Amino acid sequence: MNVTHHRTRTTRVALAAAVAAVLLTGTACSSKAEEDKGGGGADGVEAGPGVSAETIRLGALTDLTGPYATLGKSIVQAQQMWADETNAAGGICDREVEIVVKDHGYDVQKAVTAYADISSDVVALPQVIGSPVVSALLDDIQRDDLLTFPQAWAASLLGKDAVQVLGTTYDLDMIAAVDFLTRTEKVAKGDTIGHVYFEGDYGANALEGSEWAAQKAGLKVAGQKIKATDTDLSAQVSALRKAGVKAVLISAGPAQTASLAGVAASRGLTVPIVSSAPGYAPQLMKTPAAKALEAMVHVVSAAPAVSSDLPGVRKMVAAYGKKYPGSPVDSGVLSGYNAAQLLGADLKKACEGGSLTREAVVKAHRSQENADTGLGTPQNFTDVSQPASRSTYVLKPDAKAVGGVITLEEAHEAPGIEEYLAAKG
Amino acid sequence: MTTLVDNLFNGLALGAVYALIALGFVTIFKASGVLSFTHGSLLLLGGYLTAILHDDLGFAGALALAVLATAAVAGLLDRYVLQRIGTDPHAAHVATIATIGVDIVLVTDLSRRIGGDLLGLGDPWGDAVTDMGPATVADSRIAAIIVSAVAIAGAFALFRFTPWGLSLRAAAEDSEAAALMGVRLTRVRMLAWCLAGALAALAAVFLAAFPAPGLERTTGQIALKAFPAAILGGMASPVGALVGSLLIGLTEAFVAGYQSDLHVLGEGFGDVAPYAVMVLVLLVRPAGLFAARGAARV
Repeated sequence: MNVTHHRTRTTRVALAAAVAAVLLTGTACSSKAEEDKGGGGADGVEAGPGVSAETIRLGALTDLTGPYATLGKSIVQAQQMWADETNAAGGICDREVEIVVKDHGYDVQKAVTAYADISSDVVALPQVIGSPVVSALLDDIQRDDLLTFPQAWAASLLGKDAVQVLGTTYDLDMIAAVDFLTRTEKVAKGDTIGHVYFEGDYGANALEGSEWAAQKAGLKVAGQKIKATDTDLSAQVSALRKAGVKAVLISAGPAQTASLAGVAASRGLTVPIVSSAPGYAPQLMKTPAAKALEAMVHVVSAAPAVSSDLPGVRKMVAAYGKKYPGSPVDSGVLSGYNAAQLLGADLKKACEGGSLTREAVVKAHRSQENADTGLGTPQNFTDVSQPASRSTYVLKPDAKAVGGVITLEEAHEAPGIEEYLAAKG
Repeated sequence: MTTLVDNLFNGLALGAVYALIALGFVTIFKASGVLSFTHGSLLLLGGYLTAILHDDLGFAGALALAVLATAAVAGLLDRYVLQRIGTDPHAAHVATIATIGVDIVLVTDLSRRIGGDLLGLGDPWGDAVTDMGPATVADSRIAAIIVSAVAIAGAFALFRFTPWGLSLRAAAEDSEAAALMGVRLTRVRMLAWCLAGALAALAAVFLAAFPAPGLERTTGQIALKAFPAAILGGMASPVGALVGSLLIGLTEAFVAGYQSDLHVLGEGFGDVAPYAVMVLVLLVRPAGLFAARGAARV
């Protein structure tokens, strides 16, 4: 009995070892195969991972099934449209552009797995959704030298060579928001303003900006920290009214902005509300709070309104509407397309330099001093520790406009931003 | 004063909605010994059905259908999934874990359907408000309090005055003896699940109505806040669930409303407060506020 048992176990161990050996060999083979792919092309351009003689492969770690599914879909479609347009015009460096899309559903674990899956086979990541996802991948991205455009704008993401926050950071947006309130005389010295913000990087960074600007302007900030699951802001509105606020800033999601405006209006707290860019979505115009949003809310954003008159934006909106009829044209479309175009410029520059290795792509990116895609303000990527742009637009919700917003103020740099960035070092 | 009245109404309305959910937890627990983790998804299902049907059927019709459908789903889930696991106390633990799995499946599918949308439920209150002395109260809040009170009174009447209620109480007391006396345990517990499902669907309406902007994929998560309410009430006591819910609702509203005066406790204490209250109550009364002597604790 004992002997049989022993023998069974030995067989099992042997079997397990055999399976492990096969798996290991398999892995070794596949990593070897990937290395082989990175050979030089016939045209003499040095290639690296993700680049072959025929294709340039890019990766997208997106959210198609989680809380930011709408945003994810917009960006994926916009970037695919860019890839199709680019390929129709002959591609980049005589190679076809291909985007590998991985859905992580806003789950950090899944995102880490997806990164491991595609990172060895792509040359850059024009889309990574989610601050927690980006934070979890930062070290890997740095190690792999994989140029990445995150869809997150916290200042803590600055200072990393391979990671590029596009446009302004959350703190700069809120400095511009406070400037807008004081400049248009909606608040005066000595007043209190409220700031409703999400816990985490987004809210913390936004609050940093609002507190700095408020102190400079002689205002007091009454902060209200909330979570993404808080969609009824009644208690926060009560507290803000008690604090006697003359205006409210909000750095949260669209649902929270809608609740804030709706509740404040119903309670007679009709003060101006200024939101960070992620706090607004065109879908809000279909909620009961639409009227209050139109009357009270402004949005500060580094990107122009989708309904903007900029020729580049109009052309893109028309093309997108034709390619994806029925899909809403929101800010995600604009930011996704913009990111893809900027990356395209980097790849072209790297190609001209004779190398499409990851290091060469990052280097090409960091040499762009005045990158202008015609979709907003030009950006400067040369100083890794500074935001790529300092200018912001002021937008206003409008149910009738494409993308649900119109441009109220054209892009400009708010006074104080220079001083703020200098003080931050 | 205004803030006080505001917070009081917020708290009462929140508490009333939590009570609908907590009463469902308690009914299920009494009947089957199972802790239902599916409540978040049942709530979301009820809200989603109301949202997609209200254009065709009108709000009342859509709500009625959503309540019936959610009740049916809850009942069938118990009858054909959970009861198959068994009906003894050990099986109840397994069934509790199974409810987590069912919840994940349901939520995943509903999230996929809802996507990033904010769905309006077409409720008749809109963003209307009523002045009450110094405070302004949303009509949807007043409706939440009234409807919850009526629904809860109805549920209590069911427990007290119907044969099913008697069977339920008998089964909760001693299921073996009840079975010997001719109580049909499977049917009693299936109906308990139906009632809980119906209450959850009703709660969804008030969680998605103004001041909230609409039904979101995350709306169901609010159901978890009714857990501390049910537990601090004693888990097996409907009255306890009611008192617990009001306590949790008021705590949440007051802590969030006076957040700036509670800086000592750190920002965002409102989210922790329900659980802090639960722990405090359990420290003093380990079996909950209204637990029967010797009742199973959770």
